[in-house]
Amino acid sequence: MLKEKAMSVVCDAMQTSHPHPPPSALSAQELSQEIKSFISGVDSVQGRKLSVREHARCAVRLLRSVPACRGAVLEHLRGVYDEHVSAFLHHLETEGDGSGGVSSNLEDIIQEVHGVLSEFIRLNPRAWAPLVSAWAVDLLGQMSSKHAGRRATPHSSSLNELLQLWMSCAATRSLMEAYSQCLAAMLAWCPDACVDALLDTSVQHSPHFDWVVAHIGSAFPGTIISRVLACGLKDFCSHGSTDPLLAPAGGGGDKGSRVPKIGSVVGILGHLAAHHSESIRKELLRMFQESLSPSGPLSPSSSASSWESSPQLRRSAVPFLLQLAALSPTLLGAVSAQLVELLRPPILLQLQALLLGLPREELENMLGLAVHLISQSPAGGARVLRFLADTATPASVIISGPTPSPLDGIREACDRLLQMLLLHLHKLVYNRSDGSEAMGPSHHAATSAPPQRVVPFLEELQAHVGELCAETLRLERKRHLWLHQLLCLLSVYGGPSVATEALCQLLTQARNPEELALAWQLHTPLSACLPGLIPAAVGRCVAQIHTHTLGPRPLRQLLLNLAAAVQSQDEERRGAGPVAQASMAVQVGGAVSGHLHDFGPLLLHGDPAVSHAAARLLSTSPLPRRAAAPAHLLQLCRAAVAHFFVALRRRGESGSGRDGGQAGEAVGCSALLLARLAAYSSLALKAVLQQLVEGALHKGNAELFGGRIADMAGDTPLSPSLTPDLGASLLDTNCRFGSAVNFSGSVWSVFHAGVIGKGLKVRAAKPPRDPATVVQNTQTLLAVTVQCCSSSPLNGGANGSQRQPTPDPDDPPPPINAEAAKVVAMTLVENICPDVANGELSWPPEEHARTTVERDIHIRRCFEAHPVLFPLLQVVAAGRPALCYLSAVLRGLLATLLAHWEASREALATDSPWHLQASCLLVSCMGEGQLLPPVLGNVHEAFPHLTPFEVRLLLLALWEYVRGNGPMPQKFVFSPERGLFCRDFSRDGDVARYVAPIHSVLHKNIDRLGHLCWRFQL
Amino acid sequence: MGDIRQSLLPRDVLSAAKELLYHLDIYISNLVQSGRQPPQVDTKTLELVEEFILHSPKDRNVQPRRMSALQELQLLEIMCSCFQEQSRDTVRQLMFSALFSLQGNQADESRMALLSKLVSMSVAVGRVPILECAATWLQRSHRVYCVRLARVLVDDYCSLVPGSMSTLQNIHSSSPRFCCQFVTAVTTLYDLTTEDLTPPLELLQMIVSWLQDDPHLVLITLLNSPLSGSQPISSLDLTPLGGLVRWCVKAPLAYRRGKKQGLTNGTSDSETEAGPLFSTLHLSVLQVLMLLPNILNEKGLFGRLALLQLETLATLTSDLSRLLDQADKHGHGPSSDAHVLSQLVLDRLAQALQVALANGALLCSREDLRAICSRLPHNNLLQQAGSLVLLWGREGVVSLTWLVGTGLAVLPSMMRGTVGGVIFWVCFAFCKFSRGSESHRAI
Repeated sequence: MLKEKAMSVVCDAMQTSHPHPPPSALSAQELSQEIKSFISGVDSVQGRKLSVREHARCAVRLLRSVPACRGAVLEHLRGVYDEHVSAFLHHLETEGDGSGGVSSNLEDIIQEVHGVLSEFIRLNPRAWAPLVSAWAVDLLGQMSSKHAGRRATPHSSSLNELLQLWMSCAATRSLMEAYSQCLAAMLAWCPDACVDALLDTSVQHSPHFDWVVAHIGSAFPGTIISRVLACGLKDFCSHGSTDPLLAPAGGGGDKGSRVPKIGSVVGILGHLAAHHSESIRKELLRMFQESLSPSGPLSPSSSASSWESSPQLRRSAVPFLLQLAALSPTLLGAVSAQLVELLRPPILLQLQALLLGLPREELENMLGLAVHLISQSPAGGARVLRFLADTATPASVIISGPTPSPLDGIREACDRLLQMLLLHLHKLVYNRSDGSEAMGPSHHAATSAPPQRVVPFLEELQAHVGELCAETLRLERKRHLWLHQLLCLLSVYGGPSVATEALCQLLTQARNPEELALAWQLHTPLSACLPGLIPAAVGRCVAQIHTHTLGPRPLRQLLLNLAAAVQSQDEERRGAGPVAQASMAVQVGGAVSGHLHDFGPLLLHGDPAVSHAAARLLSTSPLPRRAAAPAHLLQLCRAAVAHFFVALRRRGESGSGRDGGQAGEAVGCSALLLARLAAYSSLALKAVLQQLVEGALHKGNAELFGGRIADMAGDTPLSPSLTPDLGASLLDTNCRFGSAVNFSGSVWSVFHAGVIGKGLKVRAAKPPRDPATVVQNTQTLLAVTVQCCSSSPLNGGANGSQRQPTPDPDDPPPPINAEAAKVVAMTLVENICPDVANGELSWPPEEHARTTVERDIHIRRCFEAHPVLFPLLQVVAAGRPALCYLSAVLRGLLATLLAHWEASREALATDSPWHLQASCLLVSCMGEGQLLPPVLGNVHEAFPHLTPFEVRLLLLALWEYVRGNGPMPQKFVFSPERGLFCRDFSRDGDVARYVAPIHSVLHKNIDRLGHLCWRFQL
Repeated sequence: MGDIRQSLLPRDVLSAAKELLYHLDIYISNLVQSGRQPPQVDTKTLELVEEFILHSPKDRNVQPRRMSALQELQLLEIMCSCFQEQSRDTVRQLMFSALFSLQGNQADESRMALLSKLVSMSVAVGRVPILECAATWLQRSHRVYCVRLARVLVDDYCSLVPGSMSTLQNIHSSSPRFCCQFVTAVTTLYDLTTEDLTPPLELLQMIVSWLQDDPHLVLITLLNSPLSGSQPISSLDLTPLGGLVRWCVKAPLAYRRGKKQGLTNGTSDSETEAGPLFSTLHLSVLQVLMLLPNILNEKGLFGRLALLQLETLATLTSDLSRLLDQADKHGHGPSSDAHVLSQLVLDRLAQALQVALANGALLCSREDLRAICSRLPHNNLLQQAGSLVLLWGREGVVSLTWLVGTGLAVLPSMMRGTVGGVIFWVCFAFCKFSRGSESHRAI
């Protein structure tokens, strides 16, 4: 019963496993016959020769029934497989010949064999998998190399084509599948043996066998990758370590013949890298780490393959990995980025310990290889560099973080490595030809070198120029020297664009003269091979400004740096700066002057520091030699003037102290800039003066100079909420117009001083500025104005490049230029009372003045509101005959003063202080401007001692004089000896009749005015 | 014979081997005919065999020639026919031993490889003469090599080629001697110490069916061997009884362990299948033991030849106590399952000991038995087996009544066991009865 059961179990197994079991119950006799047939190849019953397929069938039957025959059967099947492959290839070679019959004939046999084998493996993997895997791998290897030379087979280097070819062949595919099945089964209990067989075959039939390993590898990446590496390491250790530098030098051409196994490893891993780069990277890094980890108890998780336990293998792991990376850019790329992360101090110590054991020569080779690899690594170069620099920097400087400082040995090694790297890069950079461009010191080598060798390390670093510059500028000792050298190489390598970028970055990021000096140091070697570098760099900086990529601080820094650069030009004049720096300064100055209009808007930058820096730069940089475009110039002038006022305001706000000092300096810069602009061209002069005057009178700026805006007519000085509503509404009045006439509160009753019947308008009670500040501001404004006016290009023929010598306090101030004064005058007229611009210069009789009461009041109030007008008047007066053009304004002012004095019921003129002062100033100006002869011009000296009526008398006399002798510019003639225009009063009418009222007044008050009598002698 | 070496040298591997076989045949025939006793093959000839058939390197400088698998198959085929066609047993035996007797040199490896293939192939194609020769070889060779041969056969027929078990099974009809030696070798090989050394199910099934068909099978070597009993040192036991007893006793524990390990794989059905098989086997073993007195008496060896060695049993009991300890530890206290198993194990041991003692297969004193069983846990049957020695020698009737009583007492507990167990008890009681009355009569 049991026997039956056992049989049925067996039969079940067979039936389920194979649909067509062979006649299972072959008798011993039949089996004996089968063996005979199999051995002889002749049907032992019928006596005829067996065909290939019959023979194969016979073999399969034996495989199923006689265990002892399996070796022989498998051996026989090799032939069958081989025959199929041959037929397959032949068919490929003679495509379309119709000779595919053979291959299709055998294909079913192969299928059958495959079925039997895979069934066996499935049923009993432990027994069959080792057997079949060894057989399949060996057969695959044999066939791969045997048919490698065939026409239909692609070259062994093209792994993918090979793979495609062989996988389309039934025999090899079947073998491959069988092997995969075995491997899958064996992975559970002994992967090593299986893979070792594969790799041994791989070595034997390399490189034709690589496709198998690659295919298997992509099916079992984890196992294969580590095994392949371990196998390669063993091979490398046994004989590969003698020539580590041959391969990289020779390139990739003959690697197959020189170092067979490592070539295969590279090929296989390269194939796998397409889909399993992550695993490969992990494996490589793991190998690296484990080769370093102390050879104590190994972690049980690691596959514990043999290489970790052999000290020699562990020692050669690092050289092996280097070599591997040198042979395959893919692997290099996979590892390089992450390797650096691993190199923490403990690992470094281990590495050092490991490398100490190597002979010196080998170490040198490795060093060279490492340098080569770094220069070739396509990614992570920046990190590598940072790591090297970090590690090589002396410990005392490293304060970063809690990482313990590496030992000196490691530091020195890194130092050395870095230097070699720089040297290597230097060679690479200067030895490559660059077409037409001559490459500095290695000019002679350019002809022989291969064209345009790409250096991936530098390629990658090009994107990190900014960071490099920042690092360099930290000026850590040694480190910045390396980085600086590297920057230099990078610039030469990358050409103008990179060089420009680097220089631009340095200019932007430098924070002090030492750091800025790096920029010049960089420029010096580059200037030879890259002409026009500085203009490009400055242009780039400007572009940066335009794109608003810089924050206020860097922007300011950039401007200051540029200014400093330009300033060193001055130092050169004095013979202080180094020559190189000086020539650079000239270039920078030239470049900046080309971009003045780009820097101009920065004067109005919201950040005071930036605008100040801009002013500094503009005030130091030379103005363009060629005439600048008027639009640019005007824009610049406008900005400069605006900045001037802003600076003034800031000075007032910041008070004393450091800020105050800075603000004062800003004002100084600004004034200098204005002066230089004014000196540049007449257009600029006009623009500057015009802007200055307008600015000084502008609502916003008026208070700087003690002005009271609220006094101007027509203004609504207070916000409605603050004003008590008087019920005066023009709208209301207009609505009611016609229905009822109500004059009270109507438009007719609204006067400049308020609504009639309601008293004076409430003045805005704004706290007046500190008088001292007002005085200082006024002084500054005047100084600037005077400087502008006196530095006129019209009479000196000066142009942009010529500097105004700094005014010496001892020298008399240069005369004020008439033309400039005229500009000021015209501007004043336009601003004070536009109605009278271009009006009649001559004065009407005094009685007619009442026709222009409104206008005159407006003029007077203008003067009241803007105390700064009087000093400006004085400036104009000094630039004779410019005061003539202000004639209408003067007349208006005089008319109101006359009206005031006439109406005044005070006892003394001093009781109306403003009017007294205004009168005095007016008269003195007119005297200075030679609208009045000296006798009349002195009359104001008496005013404070007189009564209002007497003042009126005297002023009236003046009016009369001017009416009689009109203030015409043509009455002035230029006196070359004084450099001024003068008026010859002798041509005018007799002065005496105008002096009579003066004398009368003198007489009347002789007790008080005796001391002044001499002033009024004719 | 040494002079043919020169003529063999230039030949290719296969034809040289063929020619040497041919010459060997003639040489040994002549040797036998010359009537010299004992016929001895000289060293020169053995060296030739090693060089041209086994291809062991003669000296280190010469690369040994190797045959391909196909050539080897051809050679095996030729050997098969050669032995088949040789009509004289003596010549055949001599030739076989000339080829395959172990010489203790480095050729032994290839010798073993070739022998294994030859025997495996003979099993497949039913070459009885070769199997007979192999049986003799198994009797004479060191047990390590015998075990290797057995292993190859088990691998070939049990695991490598599915469905070929029947071929192996069939040989018991054609060559019982070989079967007997094979069983001995197999029981020596699989001592149930590890997973790897647990007999495959198919093998177990085959052996059980063999024993069921013919219990005498395991005694064939004993029956055929000369009285002297001068066995070569370290050869296999005369009978597989010791090994079989070990199998039956240890099996429940071994398979339980296997089950525990294989829980994840879900292969616990091997236990359910193997349990009844071992019960059957146990019964068969006891039956065979009961056949012994007649045979031994016929040979005049009763009480003189111990078929079960006391040392073997001592090893077995110490193993058992260790295994039981482990089972206790792993079993989280006295779980009923573990308890039942351990009692089954001890019951089987006690039964085997009792029957073996009763039938003169085990020759020892009560103290010896107590000593080797002292470390085992308590078991009623076992305790009484210890006292049996004393009783048996003195008073058969007492023992008989006691035995029947014990049998009835133990019966309910065995009901939980297997059918085989019940059958055993019934048979055992009957046999005991007749046997006891016989001995009583003799006294």
